[in-house]
Amino acid sequence: MAQEEKSRSGRGSSSSTILQFVPFNSLADEGFWHRLSSLKLNKYGIDDSPIPITGFYAPCSHSQVSNHLTLLAESLPIGENDQSSMPAFSRGNRNRCPVPGTLYNTNTLETFHALDKKSLLKEEANKIWEDIRTGRAVEDSAVLSRFLLISFADLKNWSFHYWFAFPALVLDPPATLVESKRASEWFTPEEVKSVSVACNGWRNSSLTADVPFFLISIASNSHATIRHLKDWEACQADNQKVLFGFYDPCHEKDPGWPLRNFLALISSRWNLKSVHFLCYRESRGFADMELSLVIEALITAPQGLNDRQLVPNAVGWEKNKNKYVSRCINLAKSMDPTRLAESAADLNLKLMRWRALPSLNLDKLSSVKCLLIGAGTLGCQVARMLMAWGVRKITLLDNGRVAMSNPLRQSLYTLDDCLNGGDFKAFAAAKSLKRIFPAVEAKGEVMAIPMPGHPVTNQEEKSVVDDCNRLYDLVDSHDAVFLLTDTRESRWLPTLLCASANKITITAALGFDSFLVMRHGPGPFSSAHAKTSSADMDNLTLSDKGRKRLGCYFCNDVVAPTDSTANRTLDQQCTVTRPGLAPIASSLAVELFVSILHHPDGMFAEGDITNSTSSSGSSEPPLGILPHQIRGSLFQFSQMTLVGHSSNSCTACCDTVVSEYREKGIEFLLQAINHPTYLEDLTGLTELKKSANSFNLDWDDEKDDYDDDDDCVEI
Amino acid sequence: MCVLVPAEDSNEEEMCAVEEEAGFCEIEGAADNATLVQSKHHEAHFYDFHIVYSSSFRVPVLYFRAYCSDGRPLLLNDIEKDLPACSSKVLLETKWSFITLEEHPFLNRPWYKLHPCGTSEWMKLLCLGDEVAAKNGLAIELYLVSWFSVVGQVVGLKTPLEMVKSQRN
Repeated sequence: MAQEEKSRSGRGSSSSTILQFVPFNSLADEGFWHRLSSLKLNKYGIDDSPIPITGFYAPCSHSQVSNHLTLLAESLPIGENDQSSMPAFSRGNRNRCPVPGTLYNTNTLETFHALDKKSLLKEEANKIWEDIRTGRAVEDSAVLSRFLLISFADLKNWSFHYWFAFPALVLDPPATLVESKRASEWFTPEEVKSVSVACNGWRNSSLTADVPFFLISIASNSHATIRHLKDWEACQADNQKVLFGFYDPCHEKDPGWPLRNFLALISSRWNLKSVHFLCYRESRGFADMELSLVIEALITAPQGLNDRQLVPNAVGWEKNKNKYVSRCINLAKSMDPTRLAESAADLNLKLMRWRALPSLNLDKLSSVKCLLIGAGTLGCQVARMLMAWGVRKITLLDNGRVAMSNPLRQSLYTLDDCLNGGDFKAFAAAKSLKRIFPAVEAKGEVMAIPMPGHPVTNQEEKSVVDDCNRLYDLVDSHDAVFLLTDTRESRWLPTLLCASANKITITAALGFDSFLVMRHGPGPFSSAHAKTSSADMDNLTLSDKGRKRLGCYFCNDVVAPTDSTANRTLDQQCTVTRPGLAPIASSLAVELFVSILHHPDGMFAEGDITNSTSSSGSSEPPLGILPHQIRGSLFQFSQMTLVGHSSNSCTACCDTVVSEYREKGIEFLLQAINHPTYLEDLTGLTELKKSANSFNLDWDDEKDDYDDDDDCVEI
Repeated sequence: MCVLVPAEDSNEEEMCAVEEEAGFCEIEGAADNATLVQSKHHEAHFYDFHIVYSSSFRVPVLYFRAYCSDGRPLLLNDIEKDLPACSSKVLLETKWSFITLEEHPFLNRPWYKLHPCGTSEWMKLLCLGDEVAAKNGLAIELYLVSWFSVVGQVVGLKTPLEMVKSQRN
């Protein structure tokens, strides 16, 4: 508080008190900052000259909450072109009394703090004083509440520093309070009625609703009329009671800030000593004479009305929590497009949960970590579908570069990714995912998958060992793995690693016009099921012995993966597929995955086939059945679900192979990679083939011995 | 609509640190003794409600937003704290009260809205008990008041009975 002690004038008794005013409160709406940001970016650039703006206020309408001087998007000049540098100072309405102001928006935080606040305030106050002197304030009284705003918009992190000032001319000596009463007590009952009617009329007419300062003249028969300030002389003529009325934004027992400059106007213009004011307040849209105040005050005209040199002092910087400091507001949550996209996606999924799928587990989806091996036609589609389900952690692994033919079928790439030899697919895919949805945590891994039947030289051995370790780490650090490559043998090592680590594994494989989508069963050494009761112990034992667990991609094969890329026949070249196939297979793979996540047994669940369910029949699972394999054909536009159990001779997931891997680690892997028959020898497939070949004659008759489950169709 | 919040500290994390202006307080004329020093006033939360017609759903939709006295927007979990207990219940439990965040159709800012997909169904239910309405359909004013008497509850606004009575006359 300043220390200027005003001397009491001789006329006042020692009991007279200085009339005190409640400071104005500001409210800058988020829409204002949004508009300012876009103007700054698109129009003003680094130009920091003052900007004319419009504030809005209305009389208080709540007995406990004061009204604010509000800034909205409309407060700033409309249009981005140069013609409209003036704000549309159009008529307001009963809720929005327009008031002129000036905005100084700086380019840096330092400049903001370095602004000469004293002189800026003086400059605005001078404008008010000029308007009073020239009489403009009588014509257009809203100029009495002219205000000032300084700001700095930090558009990188959506923070806005700002400070309002409401210049009030200081009367010297100050006005003194004689009496303050509720309007309902000061007026006679007839006057109360008449004044209310007159005020409501003033407020309801679009011509006067936004005129915040006015005269109330009351005739001897208690009839009240409201008139413009410029009708002052006319009011004097009839010897009527005249009060000065104004829209008071404040709800308290003291008058609001706009009265200060009104007082300055009255004292300098009409040279009055004793004045009566109506601090007009409302409730529910009507005049409220209980809340409104009538104040009687004494004033002394300041010297030198016509002396242009003498300008009254001014106060009016807004306090921030009782300190004279600027304010700061951070609007990232509602203005940052990335945050907005995130919350929109989140709400979309919640809408699905609310409308159709109450058991949708959004937390699981947003926290699951998915590894996609292959960033081609299947990989791109799977990644996009996963994002649509709310999956946020996606890693793509691929060795290749984007080729010119890729963008057509591989939905994450565009022509730009193909230029200059082509970007690495894994990186380009991750970038593309982030462009679609910035909040995704997408990562690319560029590496080759070591494959059995593709022997390596001694020089290559070290990098193969590194790749094996790197793949191991990747599988280990993710929750689910999608096998989306285009060769059989490239799926072997990931399958083995997943079987050993019991990760959710989904395979999608394409023929020319047929596809396979399947989920691998758990590995041979899974720990106990999540929900094991004593009744389930039998099943548990069987599962541990590897007999009843669902099979992997290789379980149905009687040959070990070999080099399939050499001497491939035309129909085995799965790089030629009908374009519609990959999106179908990818979508099924993702939906299958989501179903696994929502199944109580997860990856340990039994395989369903269409029109049945493995659950105990109590209630239908919300996402439907959980199949093991889906095989489809575009040739027939058909699709079927199958169940296949694991094979004891599987080259990727049988317990012999997995335990050998666990024991010998990289040695085992190098053996498998370098010696084509190693896996077949190990699993006894070699034996099996020998014994099968010895049954040549009876082969055709033993069709019925074929177990439906062991379907030998290879894709 | 204002909701008065007991003098709690607003989320300090939400706001930037306030920087002390070195020496500004000592500058003459920062205030005078005609300026009333206010005691700490209550924080208030302000709510704006808009009713907008949705041409795709062909029903009125309630849009709303909330903010503090310094303009900082409030989030849904803050809003839920302001609602009376029975409204929160309605919000969580009924099939028809889902709040989503969307671009306001005219103001181009994100506003909360009460999802309209159930509106025509429950309005039909509401009108079933009224023979006149079942025959002739509801007059617009009556429709809006009835509609608001339901949606208002979700955001804690009660519609006085007098409004319906006066409309019917």
